[in-house]
Amino acid sequence: MLKFDFLKLVLFVVVIAAFVACSEDKKDEVTPTLEVKTFTNLYAPQTGGRGEPIGGTFVKFSFAKGDIVSDNSWDIAFRGTTILINGGAAIGINDEPQRTGNGAITIVTGTFEEVKEVPDASLFKQDAANTYAVPTGSGTGWYNYNPVINLLTPIAGRVFVVKTHDGKYAKFEILSYYKNAPANPDTTDESIFRYYTFRYVYQPKGTTF
Amino acid sequence: MIGFCTVQSNVFAQYAMDTLKNYSLVEFVVTGTRTERSVSSLPSPVQVITAESIQKSGVSRLNEIIQEQTGLITVPFFNGGEGVQLQGLDAAYVMILIDGQPLVGRNAGTIDLSRITVNNIERIEIIKGASSSLYGSEALAGVVNIITKKLATDGDWKLNFNYRLATFNTNDANASVRYGKNKVAFELFGNYFSSQGYDLGGNSIFQTVEPFYNYTLQPKLKVQLSEQTDLVANSRYYFQNQENRTIINSIGYEGESIIEEWNNSIFINQKINDQFKIVYDLYATNYKTDEYLNDASENLFEENFYNQWFFRPEIRAHWRKGLNVLTTGIGMNYETMERTYFTERARLNSEYVFAQYEWFLQEKWNVLAGFRYDNHHQYQSQFSPKLGLNYKYSSNLSIKASVGYGYKAPDLRQLYFDFTNSTFGYSVAGYNVAQNRLAILESQGQILFSNNLDFSTPLKPESSINTNLGAFYQKNKWSADINFFYNRISNLIDTRAIAQRTNGQSVFSYFNLDQIFTYGAELNATYRINKDLSLSGGYQYLIAKDETTIEQIEKGELFARNLSTLASFRLVPNDYFGLFNRSKHITNLKINYNLTKYNTNINARLFYRSKYGVFDTNSNNILDDYDLFVKGYFLLNLSATKEFKHGFALQLGALNLLNHKDIDNIPNLPGRQLFGRVQYNF
Repeated sequence: MLKFDFLKLVLFVVVIAAFVACSEDKKDEVTPTLEVKTFTNLYAPQTGGRGEPIGGTFVKFSFAKGDIVSDNSWDIAFRGTTILINGGAAIGINDEPQRTGNGAITIVTGTFEEVKEVPDASLFKQDAANTYAVPTGSGTGWYNYNPVINLLTPIAGRVFVVKTHDGKYAKFEILSYYKNAPANPDTTDESIFRYYTFRYVYQPKGTTF
Repeated sequence: MIGFCTVQSNVFAQYAMDTLKNYSLVEFVVTGTRTERSVSSLPSPVQVITAESIQKSGVSRLNEIIQEQTGLITVPFFNGGEGVQLQGLDAAYVMILIDGQPLVGRNAGTIDLSRITVNNIERIEIIKGASSSLYGSEALAGVVNIITKKLATDGDWKLNFNYRLATFNTNDANASVRYGKNKVAFELFGNYFSSQGYDLGGNSIFQTVEPFYNYTLQPKLKVQLSEQTDLVANSRYYFQNQENRTIINSIGYEGESIIEEWNNSIFINQKINDQFKIVYDLYATNYKTDEYLNDASENLFEENFYNQWFFRPEIRAHWRKGLNVLTTGIGMNYETMERTYFTERARLNSEYVFAQYEWFLQEKWNVLAGFRYDNHHQYQSQFSPKLGLNYKYSSNLSIKASVGYGYKAPDLRQLYFDFTNSTFGYSVAGYNVAQNRLAILESQGQILFSNNLDFSTPLKPESSINTNLGAFYQKNKWSADINFFYNRISNLIDTRAIAQRTNGQSVFSYFNLDQIFTYGAELNATYRINKDLSLSGGYQYLIAKDETTIEQIEKGELFARNLSTLASFRLVPNDYFGLFNRSKHITNLKINYNLTKYNTNINARLFYRSKYGVFDTNSNNILDDYDLFVKGYFLLNLSATKEFKHGFALQLGALNLLNHKDIDNIPNLPGRQLFGRVQYNF
């Protein structure tokens, strides 16, 4: 008897699942397929460093426009290894752009393709006084730094999901910090440092990728 | 001569042939128990390198002879120094003794074996496995004990001179004089060693190993104070001067690097009666380095110093009843260190007591049980037990098993280092000074945020449990031993960020973080074909991994990048290779051949080491199959010694005859080195 009930239950679940799957399929037909884009060589220089106070303008990026912007429509901003989000309050560092949006960011461990859903809202973080939404320092945020060979590498398997300044979503993965994303950067050539290459998907509506 | 010694001497080989049945060829060691024990009866694995095999190999320094032994790998660190990896455990966990007294001077955690000349050595004993029950801290992986030549009171003058010239203008000159009569015996040994170093390429400013010279002086005195009491005083002085060059931001700097070391010990052996003996042992050592770099206009650019003192009085008592021996000891360590980046002189003190019982139950069984308790003032006190069992199955075969605890105290650097990098602006603060450093930085407004880590309990020593199970076999022309080992180390000390500075850099300190394990098997065998020819071989299989990494991979938390698309992909358990610098397979094959007619000995040694990783080339902090590896390689060392009349001998040979080089990965392998040596014994 119990076995029979169990089988019924399985059947029920399968049917429901099929419906759900079908309805999702239908929704996909409506939504245009999201495109994976790669932005190469976003140059994010900084002044100072090596013990001196760090400064310089942050380079602001908009996922909707897929490009560097200079107005308030930015979602994330780069300077050296520091990444800011257009949401929250000023951290308290030099030459910080004003937060004008309500953006937030979260780090997901996984491959880029695996991240299909926007994580729970509670996991998203904003910049705040003395707090980076994207933690800085080797091994804690987006990169590993090897001081022996002076190599900075984006940590494999870290995908960032961004709530944009105007409440849309995007995911991105940093691929390289060196100009033209070489597999083995020449770490003695400072002219190739601080060039971000990342791939991203922008989702103008909805919470799936 | 039994088993472990891999390069057989003609004399012993002859004994083995002619007199095996009625002549006892028992090899004794002292490091395993601090009493004389035969290798076959000892419950834990031990390896012995004899003076004869050292002499025949034609090498000059300790690192060179160590790397010829099964299961021992010398690992290079900066400045061309080398430490020894044992049972897959790091050189930092191997204690180095000269005549039972520990060497200090681990500036970067490891003792450079090339500091020690192999001339004037009677034998080298290598105890594999945790030995903290006798030796305390540092003897976590094992102990290498260098035993210098013994003094004799036979009334004969003994003189020895030898000079060796090798590639890279390497000069090795040795002289010793020994005399003893009635109640007094003494020896004076001197060694001078110099080399122009070598360069594997890379830049025009500095070489891989810079030119250096060093010398060692070792006086030794033995006085029979009374019928029951004798006194032995050993001293060693070592001095090295090496050129020092570097490039910082494309600018070259030049200077010198000086090492000075003193070891002084006095033993008084008091034989109360046939059953009871007391040893009073007083030891003091000082290890000092001074380094500087000048810029092109001779202005001082950088200076570094290191000054470590170590004192140890110890009293040991041995009670013997039949074969059973109870050894007890009590002592104290007092250590100080001053070095660049220490705010003040750091001190470590501890008192300790140990006891060990060697119990021969019946003819077939013997048990070794011991413990040591170290009462430390600067970190957690330690209790280190050990238990070993030896079963003599037959006159040819004995079975050995042992389990022991080993530990390595946090070193003074991990406790007291206080350093801020002037180029990048990060800071490293030892565990005991970290809170103070944070408070200072905070009051200067240099801290952005603190990770609020807890410093309330003292930093724990790194500790291990070591298990060995082996067998020792000897029959006719054969001798062989096998040992399976397992080591598990907990509380490995590593750095972690404790705060973020306003300049964007981190403040680091040391914490007990990881757990690793190593296991494997070691096999040695010797076959004496006839009195002039013997073959020996050795093999080690090794797995060495980090438990945290294994867990992370199982949880799917570790990734690597595809080198062409740079996209991340998830690693699977099979992708994890293990710890850096560990080869799964290491083998050696040695041939010793005497051309008796020509008074000539030919000695050939072939070594193979399977692939291993040195760098995490894909920067995910672990060594996985997608990293670049050092390919497996062969090394061949060859030497020929001819003896002439009146104590003269001539030796010719080559190290790394196949001229194997790997410029990027093996800085301690300079390519083929030819050498010649003349020797005179009087």
